Amino acid sequence: MTAPGAVSTESVRTLSLREIGPAERGTKPDEVVIALSPAFGDPFTKTIVDVPHAEVIRQLLAGIEERGGSARVIKVYKTADLAAIAHFGAKISGSGIAVGVLSRGTTVLHQRDLARLSNLELFPQAPLLDAEVFRMIGANAAQYAQGQSPKPVPTRNDQMARPRWQAKAALLHLKEFDCIDHSRNAVEVEPVITKVD
Amino acid sequence: MTAVAPRSGASVQTSKRTEILEARPVNLDGFVEEWPEKGLVAMESDYDPQPSVRVEDGRIVELDGRTRDQFDFMDTFIADHAIDVDTCEDAMATPSVEIARMLVDPRTSRADVVALGRGLTPAKILDVVKLMNVVEIMMGIQKTRSRRTPANQAHSTSAKDNPIQVAADAAEAAVRGFAELETTLGVVRYAPLVAIGLQVGGQVGRGGVLTQCALEEATELDLGMRGITAYAETISIYGTESVFVDGDDTPWSKAFLASAYASRGIKMRFTSGTGSEVQMGNAEGRSMLYLEIRCILMAKGAGVQGLQNGSISCIGVPGAVPGGIRAVAAENLVASWMDLECASGNDQSFSHSAMRRTSRLLPQMLPGTDFVCSGYSGVPNKDNMFAGSNLDTEDYDDWNVIQRDMQVDGGLRHVREDVILQVRNKAARAMQALFAELDLPAITDEEVEAATYADSSDDYPDRDALADLEGARSVMDRGITGLDLVKILERTGFGDVAENYLNVLRQRVSGDLLQTAAVLTGDFVPLAAINDANDYAGPGTGYRLSGERWEELKKLRHVTSAENPEEEVV
Amino acid sequence: MSLVIGVDIGNSTTEACIAEVTQGEVGRLASSLTATTGVKGTPENTTGAVTAVRRALEVSGRPADALATVLLNEATPVISGLAMETITETIITESTMIGHNPDTPGGEGLGVGTTVALDGLDEVEPGTTVVVVVGKGADFDDVAHLLNRAFERGVDVVAGVMHGDDAVLVVNRLQRRIPVVDEVSAVEKVPLDMLAAVEVAAPGRTIRTLSDSYGLASTFDLDAEQTRKVSPVARALSGNRSAVVVRTPAGDVTDRRIPVGTLHLSGSGRTLDVGVDGGADAIMEAIGRVAPLSDVHGEAGTHVGGMLANVRDTMTDVTGQPASEIRIRDVLAVDTMVPATVRGGLAGEVHQENAVALAAMVRTSRSRMQAVADALATELGCETIIGGVEGEVAVRGALTTPGTSVPIAIIDMGGGSTDAALLDRDGAVSAVHVAGAGELVTKLIDSELGLEDREAAESVKRHPLAKVESFFHIRHEDGTVQFFTEPLPPHVFAKVVTVTPEGLAAVPVKGSLESVRRVRREAKRRVFVVNALRALAQVAPQGSLRLLGSVVLLGGSALDFEIPGMVADALAPYGVVCGIGNVHGTEGPRNAVAAGLVDVHAGTAAGPAPEKVQRQAAS
Repeated sequence: MTAPGAVSTESVRTLSLREIGPAERGTKPDEVVIALSPAFGDPFTKTIVDVPHAEVIRQLLAGIEERGGSARVIKVYKTADLAAIAHFGAKISGSGIAVGVLSRGTTVLHQRDLARLSNLELFPQAPLLDAEVFRMIGANAAQYAQGQSPKPVPTRNDQMARPRWQAKAALLHLKEFDCIDHSRNAVEVEPVITKVD
Repeated sequence: MTAVAPRSGASVQTSKRTEILEARPVNLDGFVEEWPEKGLVAMESDYDPQPSVRVEDGRIVELDGRTRDQFDFMDTFIADHAIDVDTCEDAMATPSVEIARMLVDPRTSRADVVALGRGLTPAKILDVVKLMNVVEIMMGIQKTRSRRTPANQAHSTSAKDNPIQVAADAAEAAVRGFAELETTLGVVRYAPLVAIGLQVGGQVGRGGVLTQCALEEATELDLGMRGITAYAETISIYGTESVFVDGDDTPWSKAFLASAYASRGIKMRFTSGTGSEVQMGNAEGRSMLYLEIRCILMAKGAGVQGLQNGSISCIGVPGAVPGGIRAVAAENLVASWMDLECASGNDQSFSHSAMRRTSRLLPQMLPGTDFVCSGYSGVPNKDNMFAGSNLDTEDYDDWNVIQRDMQVDGGLRHVREDVILQVRNKAARAMQALFAELDLPAITDEEVEAATYADSSDDYPDRDALADLEGARSVMDRGITGLDLVKILERTGFGDVAENYLNVLRQRVSGDLLQTAAVLTGDFVPLAAINDANDYAGPGTGYRLSGERWEELKKLRHVTSAENPEEEVV
Repeated sequence: MSLVIGVDIGNSTTEACIAEVTQGEVGRLASSLTATTGVKGTPENTTGAVTAVRRALEVSGRPADALATVLLNEATPVISGLAMETITETIITESTMIGHNPDTPGGEGLGVGTTVALDGLDEVEPGTTVVVVVGKGADFDDVAHLLNRAFERGVDVVAGVMHGDDAVLVVNRLQRRIPVVDEVSAVEKVPLDMLAAVEVAAPGRTIRTLSDSYGLASTFDLDAEQTRKVSPVARALSGNRSAVVVRTPAGDVTDRRIPVGTLHLSGSGRTLDVGVDGGADAIMEAIGRVAPLSDVHGEAGTHVGGMLANVRDTMTDVTGQPASEIRIRDVLAVDTMVPATVRGGLAGEVHQENAVALAAMVRTSRSRMQAVADALATELGCETIIGGVEGEVAVRGALTTPGTSVPIAIIDMGGGSTDAALLDRDGAVSAVHVAGAGELVTKLIDSELGLEDREAAESVKRHPLAKVESFFHIRHEDGTVQFFTEPLPPHVFAKVVTVTPEGLAAVPVKGSLESVRRVRREAKRRVFVVNALRALAQVAPQGSLRLLGSVVLLGGSALDFEIPGMVADALAPYGVVCGIGNVHGTEGPRNAVAAGLVDVHAGTAAGPAPEKVQRQAAS
């Protein structure tokens, strides 16, 4: 890399989610809720294409922060259904906007007035989501929360994702289902991201 | 093309050979270990139920280890509608190995194994096919296929939903030999125009081709009832109650929809396949094949004539587990054995490896099925709105060569360039006339020219999508039917196409296409299990590729003439 | 009693009106409408005409063999063309300036220092004042870390320029807030070791120093001569929220006029050359000086020249007349703005450049309607008569609108040209066609909103706007609020939309509803209103609009939701009654000619008898 001022980003970051209380309805009119699935961060640590969960969260938060928004992160235990996770997040979000994320990376932007199975933007192909895309998703979430109409994040498509990833996605989905805890309510968490050199 | 580069090896030094192997396309495919507890297993699972049946007062009260009070709605539907109460106790008493051998043994007639099959439960059927290796499964398919003459189906779609492209590619697919054509949309509102393109193109290519447009169920039914399409296929069913309920459906609601089609004499089949339940995380701990057998029996119980199966859009799941492609062949066998028309998959992008794509195809292509592909992509895969097929237009010549090598009829043939150009051009012109008469946004001569010589949607001038969508809406609002289209074709100088189309529409009055595995010949004779019954009974019997058809399949793009080796056969 | 059908072949639609005529009594049965096939007045029209006739027959339930007479209008081919030339261009040399508007720059204020790359920061002497330049791929945490380390070493980092969309993130992590401009895509071209100034204004405000010549002079310590030289930089930056200016030896920003060729106008026995880069006013003024225009040529190799040649060629193809005999009789020039990428820009800067849009129209007297009539007669097996002078029939049809009287004028605003005709008290009709109509409006909307999507522009032109304020309500452009019980589709959430019969359609723009509305109305005013006045002035007695009496709007654009109102408002000061046609009190603005043909045939045409028919060509 020859660009002036470029620095390497080889260092690794790890994520731990520190529980700070039950997930409650927020009041900030421009906040975005990031709603995580039962296995996100623990026991899983990366998406289907090995994007570290620490990076997923960091980039989503960065996208929101860059656009001047604020965010809360919650973890949902009672369901591993992305639409349900995101819609739950949207309902307790002060702005009504939430980003739902599954462990394998599948992501959706949701709004509380929408039907559960509808969405603002859906990113169904987890294998195509990298750090850059998560940043853009965060940025768009913040803009929706501020009542703006951002350009949808360009979706990518790859017909050959099926032969490569369909079965692994199913496997990760099953594992995520295994982490469902029907007795546990959603909690608000503080993402603690630690840099390991 | 794939999302990420081939997986990088560890940092330890690897051999040059390993580097070469790492770079092979097959290593871009995904493979996973089995997890039987969750149903991530093809067909050999300790968690599948043991076969059992008990009948009391002419009613099945126990099915595969569950008593009626434990039945879910799939069990209830299958017990009440799919299994022959009179014969099931005897049939179930027949040892599985005996039944498996009957399936393979040419001296046991198709009628006998089909009759026996009527009394079997899902677990028993699974028990039988588990005993069969892939060659035996192919033997079984060869015998149990409903229709004597194998056939094939094509997808004709457009990345830009361009109805002229769909028409031209449908015409080419029809003239190449496909008996059925299927389309779907990127922008759903385009459906009426694209469905018209498929129908008109198809009838230009070869009179009697049957067409359908995969959409949400209400619009799909509407297009069928108007006679813009000729059959329906994408009515999905699932092997567990939880997945069914997720889709706000039940076996009864699907059966009701099936009867709506039947009421108008419209051919229809259900769709199912291994892997869909585990993909949605609701396999209830059963193997993929066990759940698919439940689907097959549900389809049979609903009284539909056929089923599209062979994993279909979930092919990446069985494709990634051990023995998965054997299980896919086995599900096609079971559909055929249950006396259903089988449109046998091979219709979704399956592998990065050309070798693996071919091997996945052979268990259907070699024995022959009612439709070897339930969509071969009649457009380049990038235009395929079903997310790509196992085979596309680039594979036409390979397919023709394999047919010739193996002396197997896969439903296609080589067609000379001038014939293809002619039908493509005519299809586009017929659309041009039709659009003009219907006051739809005009199709220019430039578009007709493009359609004649095009490969993909990139080769066509862009259309005014807004105007087209308004046109599509007006087609629905004005209540345009297939008969209106026939009339227009007749008076705009496409009398032969009108005649073909009208002949297809007539079938819904006679109801002949409701017969199992019905297709129409070029002379509009329905070929179905009742008049073209599969009579395979060992070597020298059944469908043999011979005579005129074999002469036809000997032709390829380049064959050196024996008479004059300096020239090629044309 | 005989069954008669009037067929009007127009530029874009073919209309038919079927009636039973009994001794001067007209019993209208049905009407129909279809798209015109081919260019009006050419044999290709036959297909569309047959369709229209067949439809009308179907609706009226009469058999085709009952048809006695088909009446065709006398139509002559009209061909129009459209072209746009960008006439200004902004060029930045030596990467002097970064003037794009990133959504979220970081920090606030002005920082002036020497440019240094991020990875060169460690070598900078403490106490030096620098502007850091951050390249592609840098992580915001790492950047903030390195900058804080530099602060601790005593390096005075006063501002930053970054590749990624990271400015707020980085500034939020710094010990000291500095202005940072981000999303500079070609950041590697920022010259290092040069004095640079970075300015970021508070949200909702614009920069004050770098957008001002004397501000630049103070910042870079410039003398009067140097200040004059940098003033284009200041101008280019005005209105921005953030900017970077680098002081390089010969760096400059120029705002250049692009020579885009000349129009050769001839008329009134004179010829006149006018440079297209002179703008619309200069062109229209020159056209006025040679009026009536007899022909126009453009310079080969320019868009306008190509368009004019193309119009001429198409007419040659259509009529078989030699190109030398075809005259372009009207041109409409309109000033517009097009967003264009600045040459030499580092961040994909886009500047609104001036452009001129030109519509031209050519018409011939050589009609081939006889061929159409012959083909129709063969096809339908009945008598076919070409009747009526163009304009006359329409104006007589319009006169059946309740409340109208002679003198009466009509305006028909189509896709390519605007037509006007006048029927005076003596029964004389004069007609005129001028260049510029619906398609020009679409083009102006498309380019001024930067849509690059003709369909979206068409939708903006045709439908009113609204803003989706929540999933359950929208605010229409007139301020009224509409509520919904079902949530609106997600793709229109928070968007400016057009309200179409098919539902709401998002307009792909960043701007406010008000700005889209302004562009739409301004485009319509500059084309439709200007042309309505221009055309009417040409047919009005002594060129005076005051003598017109009533003006009836016909054709598709009379159905537009705002054009009739805009034209009526423009005509009101002249005491003209202007309204939407309602042919025979039932047909609305449609079918004036088709119905008029039948009336003329039956001898029941409205208005004074056509005593001295005088035909005015397109002058």
